[in-house]
Amino acid sequence: MRNILKTLFIIEKTDRKNIFACLIVALCIIGMVVFANATELGNPIKEKSSESLPVKVALNKFQIVDASEYGDGSDIYKNIVKQYYTYPKQRMALKTEQPALFIETAIVLTELRKQAFEMDDYELIAGNLPSKIENEMDSSYYKYLKEHNLDLSFGSLSFYPFLAFLFSVVGSFWFILICIYSSNIMIDDFRHISLIKGYPIAFSQYVLAKCMTSIGIVFIFIIELIVCSLPLIYFNGLGQASYPVAVFNGEVTIYPIYKYIAISIVYMICLAVFAILLSVILNVILKNVYLTIFVQIIFVVIPILFPGLIKLIPFNPFNYVNFPSVLNGDSLNLAAPVTLNSYAGLIYLCISIVLLMAIIKWFLSTGKLQKI
Amino acid sequence: MWAYFKWEFRQFFTNKKNIAVYVILLFLALYFAFKVAPIYEPIEKVDVAEMEARFTTRDDFIKSVGNKTNVHPAVGYALAIFPQWNELDKARIEAIANKDYLKYVEATAEWYKYSDAIIVNSGQLFYNPLYYTYGNDFGHADGHYGYGYTGSRFTGYAEGNPEFSLELFEERTALQTLQRLLNNYLPIVLFISCIFLSVDIVLKDRRNPSLLKGFPIADWKRLCMKGLIAFIGSVMSFIPLCVGFVIIGLQNGFGDFSLPVPIYSYIEKTFTNMSMGTFILKNALFISVWILFFIAIILLLSLIVKAEFINLFVSLIVIAAEWLYSNRGMGAFTDIQRYPTSYVQVGQIISGYKNYIYESLHLTYQNGLIIVGSCTLIMMVFTLIVSQSKRFKLIA
Repeated sequence: MRNILKTLFIIEKTDRKNIFACLIVALCIIGMVVFANATELGNPIKEKSSESLPVKVALNKFQIVDASEYGDGSDIYKNIVKQYYTYPKQRMALKTEQPALFIETAIVLTELRKQAFEMDDYELIAGNLPSKIENEMDSSYYKYLKEHNLDLSFGSLSFYPFLAFLFSVVGSFWFILICIYSSNIMIDDFRHISLIKGYPIAFSQYVLAKCMTSIGIVFIFIIELIVCSLPLIYFNGLGQASYPVAVFNGEVTIYPIYKYIAISIVYMICLAVFAILLSVILNVILKNVYLTIFVQIIFVVIPILFPGLIKLIPFNPFNYVNFPSVLNGDSLNLAAPVTLNSYAGLIYLCISIVLLMAIIKWFLSTGKLQKI
Repeated sequence: MWAYFKWEFRQFFTNKKNIAVYVILLFLALYFAFKVAPIYEPIEKVDVAEMEARFTTRDDFIKSVGNKTNVHPAVGYALAIFPQWNELDKARIEAIANKDYLKYVEATAEWYKYSDAIIVNSGQLFYNPLYYTYGNDFGHADGHYGYGYTGSRFTGYAEGNPEFSLELFEERTALQTLQRLLNNYLPIVLFISCIFLSVDIVLKDRRNPSLLKGFPIADWKRLCMKGLIAFIGSVMSFIPLCVGFVIIGLQNGFGDFSLPVPIYSYIEKTFTNMSMGTFILKNALFISVWILFFIAIILLLSLIVKAEFINLFVSLIVIAAEWLYSNRGMGAFTDIQRYPTSYVQVGQIISGYKNYIYESLHLTYQNGLIIVGSCTLIMMVFTLIVSQSKRFKLIA
């Protein structure tokens, strides 16, 4: 086993594709760092300034009437008016950099929106307001900040928040990336069968060794993600690793950033193993790189095209391949709302990995394939 | 030559990957026709309730303050603009109730022009609220474009007098759906399928070299044949998409080729109409040039680099590049018209939408054809030169 690992390692080390992939990943991350720095990503003064416009437009959908407490306007109209008049206060808090006031107004806003969800005619203005789950996450985030007397940062993203942002962006297409990367994992072996036949080793062990080297490269990618964002420490400082992130996990909870990053990394590793094993099986069955990619993408796309299926088959691991959206609670905004739990997703993924391994061990190593 | 063509042709259409591409396109077309197209909700739809609500509110307002003197300037302004607006709304409501579509079309065209003229520079009046979605900073600009577009479209209906139907007004007929998609992601779908179809057209030969060495034909002739077949194959990817077109046509009517398609002119800041036939022909020509461009890239890279992975990566980067640098209004201070990648969204170039969002004068159809076409020619010449060299043989 050690010998085959060594051989594969030497092969992979000099493979043009791997060097190229590592370079691309590094370039993309550095590009994102520069982008985040240049556009002042995460700076609330820039990002919150235009938030009041949709509310102003929502206001236009109603006839103008008396919006005081006993006035004859409808409840939802009064609510929107109140929201509209909270925004100037929030903007002022941002401009004068008063975090406490900002958090207070933010909480008032989320409370008002929360009330609006229960009122009649809410559908009329639903498009102009954030969705229920977004609001709930905002609400618990700001409440947490207030309870623990944490300061809101008015600058752009520092290192730890940027990492959380980076993992949520990369995570959403991580599975597809690994699928494409690993799509030819076994194809070369089929082209040079005589070479492989020389290895004095069983097929399942050979596959295991191949997967392990691929996963080694995936680890390099993940390390690259962290290393390449280090320049941000120089630009914007380290930030707090224990700063809260609102996460949906069956219910809205608050994670510190390090926990969010840890969960993302665990998810990414599981997804990578899953993708690589799937590629092995599809390679052996289809013997074509592109067909492998197409089949994998179809698996990913089907729950997106037919959201009803998610409710029908909650244990389908492909529901969880876009884990940042699972952690955002996006599945609650679907036409058929469904609660996806990120821990359950991890368990389903692990079960599928075990299943795939069993398939490789017992089915693929028999018959014709034994020969390679 | 002919025998080689037939041989390549058969290989192309029996390739498992290519069949899969066609099947996926067919699936997408069916999915679109059955699931996406029926739930399309245009912002500018024929909504009598909305018109009535607007009409009664303003009517009440005019009746209650209309005969008062000494009013606030804002009220005075409202009193000046509302009566004509209401007249148009009233005409629309009545025409729809009587099913007098010609009158509806005329009143609607007027209504959009009048509304746009008043709203565009006003800080208090807004376009249809659906333009101002949560998180969209350009709702007002989008609304201005949308109103101008719809106004021009209805003017075209009034002049052209096609067969009226509600589907026509809401752009649901098959040809109009095609036009909407050309302004949207259809070109990109076609380009991606072209890339997947032709990505291995040269490199597949390296697997069985001894078989192909027997053909007594020069390398550059082979490349020409391969390019031709890739082009035919990519154009054929229309066929599975046509299934979706026919289904939508049977559901909502096909529309006809003389329907107006509004084209935005950046210089005059107004819309003019082009006929549907011309619009689709122009798109077809531009898309063909782009397909040749991708095939030329793939042939050249296959000769020089000899890795399918690179073929795929570079051509997909060409498609995606625009998203990396695009920013609304950037045309005013950068030369985006010089990059061929700015022209990937073919329909948006022809309809002038790109001019509008980039605020650039130069992103035109002619410039696009010249730039993309000359890039293609340069790459083709390059490929021919390289294929003469002994170093870059087709088969190792």
